[in-house]
Amino acid sequence: MSVRPMLADDTTTWRASAREWLRSGNSLPFLLLAPSIFLMLAVIAYPMLTGFYYGFTSGSLLKFGKFVGFDNYIRLLQSTDFLHALWFSFIFAAFNVIGCFALGLGLALLLNQEVPFRGFFRVALLLPWIVPSIVSIVSWRWMMADQHALFNQIIGLFGGSPVYFLSDEHWAIAAVIAIKIWRSFPFMMLSLLAALQGIDRSLYEAAALDGASRWNQFRYVTMPQLRNISIVLCLLMTIWTVNDFDTPWLLTQGGPANATENLVLLAYRYTFGRNDVGLGSAVSFVTLAILMVLVVILLRRQRER
Amino acid sequence: MAYPAPSSRKRWTLFWLLVVITIIVNLPIILMVMNSFQTTEQLVQRTTILPRDLTVANYRYLNERTHFWTFLWNSFTVSGVSTITSAAVAALAGYALSRFRGRLITGYSRALFVVQMFPIILALIPLFMLFRTLGLINSPLSVIILYTVVHLPFATWMARAFFDTIPRELEDAALVDGCSRFGAFVRIVLPLSGPGLAAIGIFSFLFSYNEFFVANVFLRDQDAMTLPVGITMFMQQYSTDWGSLMAAATVTVIPTFILFLGIQKWITYGAVSGGVKG
Repeated sequence: MSVRPMLADDTTTWRASAREWLRSGNSLPFLLLAPSIFLMLAVIAYPMLTGFYYGFTSGSLLKFGKFVGFDNYIRLLQSTDFLHALWFSFIFAAFNVIGCFALGLGLALLLNQEVPFRGFFRVALLLPWIVPSIVSIVSWRWMMADQHALFNQIIGLFGGSPVYFLSDEHWAIAAVIAIKIWRSFPFMMLSLLAALQGIDRSLYEAAALDGASRWNQFRYVTMPQLRNISIVLCLLMTIWTVNDFDTPWLLTQGGPANATENLVLLAYRYTFGRNDVGLGSAVSFVTLAILMVLVVILLRRQRER
Repeated sequence: MAYPAPSSRKRWTLFWLLVVITIIVNLPIILMVMNSFQTTEQLVQRTTILPRDLTVANYRYLNERTHFWTFLWNSFTVSGVSTITSAAVAALAGYALSRFRGRLITGYSRALFVVQMFPIILALIPLFMLFRTLGLINSPLSVIILYTVVHLPFATWMARAFFDTIPRELEDAALVDGCSRFGAFVRIVLPLSGPGLAAIGIFSFLFSYNEFFVANVFLRDQDAMTLPVGITMFMQQYSTDWGSLMAAATVTVIPTFILFLGIQKWITYGAVSGGVKG
């Protein structure tokens, strides 16, 4: 409501200038972006702000709670569950990034050679990446479910005693990481292969003329050329692994005894299992804060290039 | 690195090495398909790796006794609708990113990049409470809204990359002929980017069809579940019925494979432009 009575004249000029702006070419970028900006505000920005507020309340899923200040965050710092989830998120991301980068680079180097049916292999090796998470976890679980499962039969052939992959803490952690590597190496392979194919061939010719061995060509031509893209890929993979819910949840549901529970699983369990929205939101915010540090590093990297 | 050209013997050694690697890497998928033709008893008693006495009992069970077709139908509806909405919104935004410069464009592009890295659980908690008051829990609409937004970043970048390949001169000619800027986009640019939009659509469809986490939060009723969530119900209810589980997983993966074959030549493009360029 305006304080002074609006003159008819005012509104018409306002409308007229708005109409003119809409007709002119200047408004087009804004109009084109309007639907996406609206969606992002409604589905990302608004919930994010509300969630930030929930982190300071004691609410449940059924009713809004009262403001409790930093209580939730203090409770988190004192909880061993949280510290363990923080540690597991770190281990999970670190081993997955190392594993899928090594595997991806190795396969990309193989596929960059002249091999018959190279196109076929390039597609066939992507399958673990495009298969739905539930499908891959079903078949992996079958292979390691109990003492009669495939892996244990193979271990038995070599005279070993059965391994309880999903009920032993250390083996469960190893299994979650191994399956995550299996699910994410194709992305690394694909991106590194694209980068390898973008390297100027004359660099290798020059190196060969100078008498560089195959290893030295790799060490002094390939590696430096891949350096930037590798850092970006590893940062991206770290972010995606911290955000991963499907692999640990579908394989072990975070068990045994929360051994494979990362921050996202913990936030999920607090919110939807224990009905503690405040604590769950606080955990998600810690996750966001960690990820934003990585995103800032990533953005800075990309601006440098 | 293939310099000088390798001998044919070396090429075929590499070929067989890759055959072995490909089989080992895809072993979980291959075994799953083979196991789906065995009853659970056969699976438990079997001592060889290769199956004997194939049977379609699991598939018959899936068809007659479970909600499998409901799950599949839900998956198709949710994925289909969210594909159309996100492709439409992303095409508009992608065109803006491709043809205009300015603060708004830079800011938006950066926001997209950050959203892609966002821990989705953060938005899910408040949205769950909001959707409950709106009666959207167990409604396909809840998941469709989420998928549309989650796909926006990569779909927008892919759209932008396709529009970048269409020469501006075509639009300039249309503008000279008296077409509006938006008219030029709809009449000239969009028809030329058909294949690109199709690729974006297939990517979005694949992502929605495979997605588990969001669907798991919002779809809690058997009749509303999409396939990935539905299969976890199988897993909990019949925890040792591996035969039907494998059959369900096998049918689930068929649409994925078909769509994947449709976009495999775009896939480097999509992965690199969506994830890395920013």
